[in-house]
Amino acid sequence: MKVKVHGANLTAWVAAACLARAGNDVCIENPEAQLDKPLQDISALRDEPGLLDQIELQMQQGRLKRNLTEDSETTIHWLALEHNEFALAERIVQHLAKQVAEKLLIINQCNFGVGATTQLQRHLNESAKQAVVYVPNNLQEGKALQGFSQPKRITIGSDNNWAITMTRSLIRPFLQNINQLLLMTSREAEFTKLAITGMLAIRIGYINEIANLADQMGVDIDIIREGMGTDPRIGSHYLSPGCGFGGQNFNLNISQFSDIFEKRGQNSLLKTVISENEIQKELLFKKLWQHYQGDLAGKTVAIWGASFKPGTASIDNAPSVKIIDALLAQGVNVRVHDPEALNNLQRYYAEEPLISFCTAPYAAIDEADALLLVTEWPEYWSPDYLQLLESMRRPLIIDGRNIFDKEALEMYGFTYIGIGR
Amino acid sequence: MTVDQSPAWAALNSHADELRHKHLKTLFAEDANRFDNFSVSAAHCLADFSKQRITATTLQRLIDLAEQQQLPQKIEALFGGEHVNPSENRPALHTALRQPKTAPLVLEGEDITKQIHASLERMEALVEQIHNGQWRGYDGSPIKHVVNIGVGGSDLGPLMACRALNLFTSPANRNIDIHFVSSMDGSQLAQLLNSLDPASTLFIVSSKSFSTIDTLANANTAREWLIDASELSLELISQHHFIGITANQAKASEWGIPEKNQLHFWEWTGGRYSMWSAIGMAIALHTGNDNFRKMLAGAHEMDSHFRHAPLTENLPVLLAMIGIWNINFLDIHAHAVLPYDGRLQHLPAYLEQLEMESNGKSVTLKGDKLNYATCPILWGEIGPNAQHAFYQLLHQGTESVMCDFIAPARRYQEYGDDLQAQHQLALANCLAQSRLLALGDSVLEDGDTAPSHKRYRGNQPSTTLIIDELTPESFGALIAMYEHKVYVQSVIWEINPFDQWGVELGKQVATSLLDQFSHPTAAKTDSSTAGLIRFVQQQQGVQS
Repeated sequence: MKVKVHGANLTAWVAAACLARAGNDVCIENPEAQLDKPLQDISALRDEPGLLDQIELQMQQGRLKRNLTEDSETTIHWLALEHNEFALAERIVQHLAKQVAEKLLIINQCNFGVGATTQLQRHLNESAKQAVVYVPNNLQEGKALQGFSQPKRITIGSDNNWAITMTRSLIRPFLQNINQLLLMTSREAEFTKLAITGMLAIRIGYINEIANLADQMGVDIDIIREGMGTDPRIGSHYLSPGCGFGGQNFNLNISQFSDIFEKRGQNSLLKTVISENEIQKELLFKKLWQHYQGDLAGKTVAIWGASFKPGTASIDNAPSVKIIDALLAQGVNVRVHDPEALNNLQRYYAEEPLISFCTAPYAAIDEADALLLVTEWPEYWSPDYLQLLESMRRPLIIDGRNIFDKEALEMYGFTYIGIGR
Repeated sequence: MTVDQSPAWAALNSHADELRHKHLKTLFAEDANRFDNFSVSAAHCLADFSKQRITATTLQRLIDLAEQQQLPQKIEALFGGEHVNPSENRPALHTALRQPKTAPLVLEGEDITKQIHASLERMEALVEQIHNGQWRGYDGSPIKHVVNIGVGGSDLGPLMACRALNLFTSPANRNIDIHFVSSMDGSQLAQLLNSLDPASTLFIVSSKSFSTIDTLANANTAREWLIDASELSLELISQHHFIGITANQAKASEWGIPEKNQLHFWEWTGGRYSMWSAIGMAIALHTGNDNFRKMLAGAHEMDSHFRHAPLTENLPVLLAMIGIWNINFLDIHAHAVLPYDGRLQHLPAYLEQLEMESNGKSVTLKGDKLNYATCPILWGEIGPNAQHAFYQLLHQGTESVMCDFIAPARRYQEYGDDLQAQHQLALANCLAQSRLLALGDSVLEDGDTAPSHKRYRGNQPSTTLIIDELTPESFGALIAMYEHKVYVQSVIWEINPFDQWGVELGKQVATSLLDQFSHPTAAKTDSSTAGLIRFVQQQQGVQS
């Protein structure tokens, strides 16, 4: 099938790559600003493991093109715009409504909020089989390709039978491992999408809150968490305490949802979760501050992991950024390592003399007064403790993801500070 | 010879004899162009003096008096750093605090403009650090609450400005709540501390001498509160939770403020003229450094006008001289300040200090006792609220009162019609009250037929000050205008507006009386004081 993808973000590129790989004739229409960029300079491609290779492969094989001129034969359009580009989406839909007189299918994957798909549909003639379908974007940065091509569940938000059939046939190649295909109205699907993200955020917010309390009361959150997780009503996913969640989509979705409450003048749990999460992001800094009683100027602090989670180079809303900002403001020398995010970090802190970007983890800990573990990349899980002891000026480890064994570290002679233990 | 024996004074006296019995309604009837003839604009402000009991001759004679008193030279002396405060042998250079960086002013061999801007820049850096969330409390939390502890000039100016410029905040500033604590009895502080999180609260201790007992009592209580909450040492708490703003570095250090947390100003900055210095840090925290600078720029604009405009067009000069006319020649000794904008709610209290502490004097610069009136009793309230309180006295009481009506022309431009309508309502009330005070019930066609308890005699003089809109610039200009007004009056009265010896003795007596509560000795107090102490002790004894 001929598909045109509208958009320039990670969602757009992932959809383009996967749809092309499934044999479709895909064209991705980027805005002009991105058009001139070589593929490897587009951060959405660079930061996502495997995506750049896949795009290049599909282009070589001729199934994926960038910015073809108008083609009225393309009747399937995939919208993957930014959350604030609703006006652009409307213009695209209005234009297509004139261009493709009948049998026009538009898949909307944008996070425009509840009711947006219905609004777009108003520009179309449903009786001429012009329809917008909402398919929520369940993209997880770091696992985006797999998430798109082998989803466990898919929701189709539409009440138009023709459009549902068309959508189902388009995504058919990706339904091999599917557990559930849900059908609901677009409005319900949009609401569900936000409700799920909100629920996850609340779980994380809650376990973080408990961990901070456990800290004060001298109990180990790991044990509490295990106890909670075995209750079948709760389960153990999204129950790891840490120094705050980040990422672009996750944060965007929950703030969107919380805004809906706010516009209606209602207080929401989510609003509290969001603001508490911002505080939580500084937790490692605060633990360091307390350890040194505020005397941080001139100290050297190593940071392991800067991306907002392992498996991505993105530092959007990452706790590492808040921690580094706080350290720099105190005049701390920061030595940071990350397997993927160093380039992004370097761009972000381009003019900052107090920060060093280390390409090897052990280069970062040289003469350090503390090691802050911020992102739990697999390569950090089992470090060479003797080398740490030897290189660090003071053997202080602050573990933002509770990946180290507290007792073992203390046996080696480290001062260990975790989250909630 | 004091001023009241001078020719210009005598000329005004005889002129007053002619005018004293002329009602304002007659003056308006005689001259259809009073507004055009008696209103002046400068630096965002328009002053309408047409509802004052003056004629063109009055103004001319007042200017003669100003010239006789060598006002232009005295204005230069103020700006030039001469010792206009002889009892403390120093200049009063609040005008220098708002000079642009490019205008050097050398005082005893030192360019004070440089020092002023260095101090401002240090203040701005601290403000920025706090706005960025990078000033940290004892547990590493960013500061969310700032409490300004100060009294008098270290409280009234910043408090007034923060309320007046409430709308001029950016998102970064809005994350910081500013609180003010002044009263020595601790009642404001005790209530406030209940609602604050110690780890994210920073205290600004503002005191020129750093020995003001009111301020230090509050600061000590605040520090104990933090030590209790954190279980940390006094030294750590002072380092992370206290900023000291003072002209006495040694005293601030002695109290425990580390030098890097100190901001300094100078002996030549009077307390009630100090909100333009680092004392205004709370203003910068609340409105942002940019707006603080704009406030300084607005004040500087008024300074330039005051320094360079001819006396006949000089807003602060005219405001002052008409005040002199009312006080010394029309025998009016009460002055009401009536802002018709709720944001100016603290302006009356500020002006009470500015005018009464400055010019509440009865000895000339040479030390002679005076026999003419100086500063009147000054008080005020938000106009529309005062309409329901003391306007009765203005309209039908026996006292003559001069009034300043103050309002912005534009307000709520970016808000809805409802609020704009409310502003219009306030303006209509403002103009109605000044009209009625001036003209009495002659504004009605059949006013004189009413029974006597419903009559309005009118003839109460007032000035209406309209600012274009309430912005940092216009606000700065407005306050500078009043400062200069006070100076001009002091020049005419030949008194020192920059000292305040009348507030010293009370402090000493209080210190000695404090002992009497714990070690009562019959000696050295009067029977009233002794009796009161006895009663208090009995009451306290009963309770304990």
